[in-house]
Amino acid sequence: MGEGSALGGAGGADVPVRLNVNGRGRRALVEPRRTLADFLREECRLTGTHLGCEHGVCGACTVLLDGAAVRSCLMLAVQADGCDVTTVEGIGPPDGSLGPVQQAFVDCHGLQCGFCTPGFVVSVTAFLRDNPDPSEAQIRDALSGNLCRCTGYQGIVRAVRQAASAASRPAGVEEEP
Amino acid sequence: MKPAPFRYHRPATVAEATGLLEELGEGAKVLAGGQSLLPMLSLRLTAFDDLVDIGRIAELQGIEAGGGAVRIGAGTRMADVERAPAAAAVPLLARATPLIGHFQIRNLGTVGGSIAHADPAAEYPAVARTLDATMEVASPAGRRTIAAADFFDGLWTTTMGPDEVLTAVSFPVWAGRTGFAVEELARRHGDFALAGAMVALSLDGDDRVRRCAIGLFGLGSVPERAGAAEAAATGRLLGDVDAEELGRSATAGLEGVPDDLHASAPYRVEVGAVLVARAWAAASAEARRSGGGERDDG
Amino acid sequence: MTEVGSAGATRYAGARVHRVEDARLLTGRGTFVDDVSLPGMLHACFVRSPFARAAVGGIDTAAALALAGVVAVLTAADLNPGVHEQWHTSVGKDCPETPRPPLAEDEVRFVGDPVALVVADSRYVAEDAAELVEVYYEPLPAVVDYTTAEEADVLVHAAHGSNVVGELNGVPADALAEVYAGAAHVVRATISQQAYAPVPMEARGIVVDYAPASGDITIYAATQAPHEWRAFCSRLLGVPEHRIRVVMRDTGGGFGQKVLVLREDMAIMLAGPKLGVPLKWAEDRRENLLAAGKSRRERADVAMAFDADGAIRAASIDFLSDCGAYPTPWPVTSAAAVGALFPGPYRVPAASFATKNVYTNTVGRTAYRGPWQFETLAREVLLDIAARQIGIDPVELRRRNVLRRDELPFANPNGMPYDAISPAETLEQAIEMLGYDDFRARQAELRRHGRYLGVGVSNYVEPSTPGYGSYATEAATIRIEPSGKVNVSIAGGSTGNSLETTVVQLTADALGVDIGDVATVQGDTAVTGFGAGAAGSRSGSMTAGAVGDTAAVLRERIVAIAAHRLEAAPEDIELAGSRAYVRGTPAVGLSLAEVSALAYFDPAALPPGVPPGLEASARYRAEAGIIWVNATHVCTCEVDVGSGHVELLRYIVSEDCGPMINPSVVEGQIAGGVVQGIGGVLFEHLAVDDDGNPLATTLMDYLVPTATEVPEIEYGHVETPSPGPGGYKGVGEGGAIGAPPAVVNAVADALAPFGVTITTLPLGPSEVRALLRGAVSGG
Repeated sequence: MGEGSALGGAGGADVPVRLNVNGRGRRALVEPRRTLADFLREECRLTGTHLGCEHGVCGACTVLLDGAAVRSCLMLAVQADGCDVTTVEGIGPPDGSLGPVQQAFVDCHGLQCGFCTPGFVVSVTAFLRDNPDPSEAQIRDALSGNLCRCTGYQGIVRAVRQAASAASRPAGVEEEP
Repeated sequence: MKPAPFRYHRPATVAEATGLLEELGEGAKVLAGGQSLLPMLSLRLTAFDDLVDIGRIAELQGIEAGGGAVRIGAGTRMADVERAPAAAAVPLLARATPLIGHFQIRNLGTVGGSIAHADPAAEYPAVARTLDATMEVASPAGRRTIAAADFFDGLWTTTMGPDEVLTAVSFPVWAGRTGFAVEELARRHGDFALAGAMVALSLDGDDRVRRCAIGLFGLGSVPERAGAAEAAATGRLLGDVDAEELGRSATAGLEGVPDDLHASAPYRVEVGAVLVARAWAAASAEARRSGGGERDDG
Repeated sequence: MTEVGSAGATRYAGARVHRVEDARLLTGRGTFVDDVSLPGMLHACFVRSPFARAAVGGIDTAAALALAGVVAVLTAADLNPGVHEQWHTSVGKDCPETPRPPLAEDEVRFVGDPVALVVADSRYVAEDAAELVEVYYEPLPAVVDYTTAEEADVLVHAAHGSNVVGELNGVPADALAEVYAGAAHVVRATISQQAYAPVPMEARGIVVDYAPASGDITIYAATQAPHEWRAFCSRLLGVPEHRIRVVMRDTGGGFGQKVLVLREDMAIMLAGPKLGVPLKWAEDRRENLLAAGKSRRERADVAMAFDADGAIRAASIDFLSDCGAYPTPWPVTSAAAVGALFPGPYRVPAASFATKNVYTNTVGRTAYRGPWQFETLAREVLLDIAARQIGIDPVELRRRNVLRRDELPFANPNGMPYDAISPAETLEQAIEMLGYDDFRARQAELRRHGRYLGVGVSNYVEPSTPGYGSYATEAATIRIEPSGKVNVSIAGGSTGNSLETTVVQLTADALGVDIGDVATVQGDTAVTGFGAGAAGSRSGSMTAGAVGDTAAVLRERIVAIAAHRLEAAPEDIELAGSRAYVRGTPAVGLSLAEVSALAYFDPAALPPGVPPGLEASARYRAEAGIIWVNATHVCTCEVDVGSGHVELLRYIVSEDCGPMINPSVVEGQIAGGVVQGIGGVLFEHLAVDDDGNPLATTLMDYLVPTATEVPEIEYGHVETPSPGPGGYKGVGEGGAIGAPPAVVNAVADALAPFGVTITTLPLGPSEVRALLRGAVSGG
């Protein structure tokens, strides 16, 4: 057996992981099969990341992994060892107020039931950070990886437009984490 | 939907990885980006005793251009291909990448993972097949290369052995007066293609087709080349090639065309012909406009 | 008539007030049922039938039980005998319902039928154990084709004696034979719609927490009707209602799927008390697509007779609905609504309808946003077919027949009493917003260049706010606290319909207080009075009535106290900005805090006859049996005839929902419904093969529209007050009713040059190309 690289036995033996979640160090012993989404929800008690499909289509589980938007249901917690993870709880300013993306969703009626919302907030935050001045087509393209059943995407598209134009204003704009 | 239990291994080198595969046997599976594997595990469509995570192996990272090719480490994320200036030398890669899923998938999915997964409707296997890419593979016995034409063996099946790991893919660069296009038809933005066509085209100074490649995806159990259509077009004046007719001949006689909830086989063939025609027209227009470069890829 | 917000100016009604729900939901601090974690909680996973129909020989649970972490494996023998009574309040006890065993007994009746319940330390282990449960199935022939189910040899429910669940008919078709025989034009078609489903982003879920010492039960549920769940659970378990508490904090979409307790919920309600520790079931997406229910799978032979000018002489529908094996609720009345509403918002003098519902060995039919919406699909598609057949522009055909205001009230030929609607006005507004003539000109120009654009229109009128039975009343409790801040509690059931914000807006207006001074508690049966829940597009009107009635009691008291204190006449007191002051001299007044302090802490200072405190409850009763709502939808598209791909260009809704409480909420409800309707036409298909095996069990195969598939939606508003409080009407379901025919008609219009007629859904690119191939070959 390749003992040096084997991290865990069959059927439930745990593997140590260390990672930062929303700036806070976490360590745990987890089953290899534990998804990152479940790790965040259960071990870290951060239930803002939601499970809409658990097969990588709906995007409700989106988090930032070392700054990149990823589907946490398509990652094992053990794969995030040594990484920085940001969930929706860590997207806004530390004082608990709403960041510019979140505020734009309020202003533009970008949510109804709120279940898909954390995934959108995280995806949009990453998208606008990397694409500060997107075209309409780019906005819709970037949103196509997150599903919503309530809003018909109307308020969400408006929210992204608003957050983009707010971010392009030079002064007094909040930053992402 | 939770995966069944498995053991997890994180080798630091290619040698460790292949050694593990050899030792662990049939119940082991390579884990790269996980974007294809994890859904299958969560849905319990498949299960393995051991996952060998190659995501931290430094040797598998990187994009280098030179010697008439762009060589991409198998563990390179699709998002990095999207951003890399070097990848622009292979326009089919640059144009196919944004069509793959969504940016969140591309942030984790890898070039090697997609090619080794060998989904016949996926973009990267089709790019590899269209451009006659070379796959570099390692096993405990050593290293070898497999040509794209010999790599894809059937639905989700390659000719790699159970203890082999794909380490890099080398995509040839076409120089001269070239044109490239990708056309695919998907139900929604980012979905797997119901049918797709890729065209690479190179013209001589008289607008004669010096070389062309027509790749088909979503139309069989592996990505395919329309060899007869390619042969018929090669050597002819571009203006003499009728794109629609080329499309029809490229999709004539296809076997094993998928038939499912999303599209019937006859539809796929029909739209495949249309897509070949559109891709040919777009690539032709680009090649015509192109002034050409100095190098000849011979 | 109940007055709403008549004290002072209405400040918030009609305004795009930001939602009070948003802050917690945007920061990941909502509480959805899977976020609930209780000490000692166990996790459930169902073992489900892989066969559409099979006899269940035996169930071997030994291997599953032996797995570490597994606490129990329960079967029908363990759970089903615990059922005392099983019926839904809205349907009643005496309805000839489909028997619904919580777990399948000796026969499984659809792929996904729950057969056993595994309980374990985690969902991971429960799923491992579920794979180890051995069920001995003897597969049997299944009834899958609903169009032949009535004649099939196989019975879905043997004890029922037939595969017909029930039928309800109006005037028979042959009574109109002469009308059709003498008509200048008769148009007939068979129109069918595929199975699709609500697919809320949050699947179903429930936590049942039984406290053994007291026998009390607390249930956390993803539900649109917490009180209905409490009542149902009480009857199911034989536990008195006051011992059960149902809490719904946040629910991720319902659209009708989460109104009623379904079989899995029953199984968890029965299992929880057996285990004596909290038990959670969080449905996963595959289960949701397999077993949460299907809707919309139905067809009808429809016909209309016209005179030479295109005036409708008669409308007829013969409707058949696939109800699956376990329809919930009993589907016969909502099918009858299809028949009764088929004539639509048009001047139709005569109509006939027949509606029939059949069982099949597929997942049961459950409610979905406008469950009867087939009547609008069928009628509006038929009207366009008629327009092309007769040679009249489809908008002109509608203009000639649409009901005008001066014709109201108008009883349709099936007795539906339309009133306070504006279908002629919404039609004109929608057409004008499009620029219809310009569009037709552009369409003609582009056709010359081989591009095919199309425009589709649909008109509908729908019943909202049912005023009968358990739906007829709604209560509110308003407590103005000693500090003058306001707490309003209502039954709730919002799964995204912004009911918290609506209620806060209404209460702030009704009491003349600042909106920041109002908080609301909803969805907790321990705190809030009985309410039938968020269904039937009832919440706007009913909560307006409840808040209005309750606030009126408190306003009278506040005014009396202030008048007494200010030595003014009560009729001179105005309430606004959280103050009570003498009209015309705002400086002469009291803050609500001061009034409240008097009411609570200085009862001796109150005027005679005014009780102490400022808390009241009132139960509003709807006066109208139905509040009618109408809208017109217009959709334009371009069809790529080479690939069959449909791109939607513009989407316009002109709606009359009466005065709007919150325009953002109204538009949001319409938009969500419209996109679900678009999905139902172009993308979504809960398909099943000939053996009853589901083909779309993941979101990779069940295609929900994304932001790139839907256009920007444009809204026009026509305002005809309803007879209800505030003139408000229901707006939750309309989008899903009006959208499908607008899209179908747009595609058909685009393909009209090819002689294509569309009567079957869905319309993926493969289907569009097949229509074009068929038309070219003359088929």
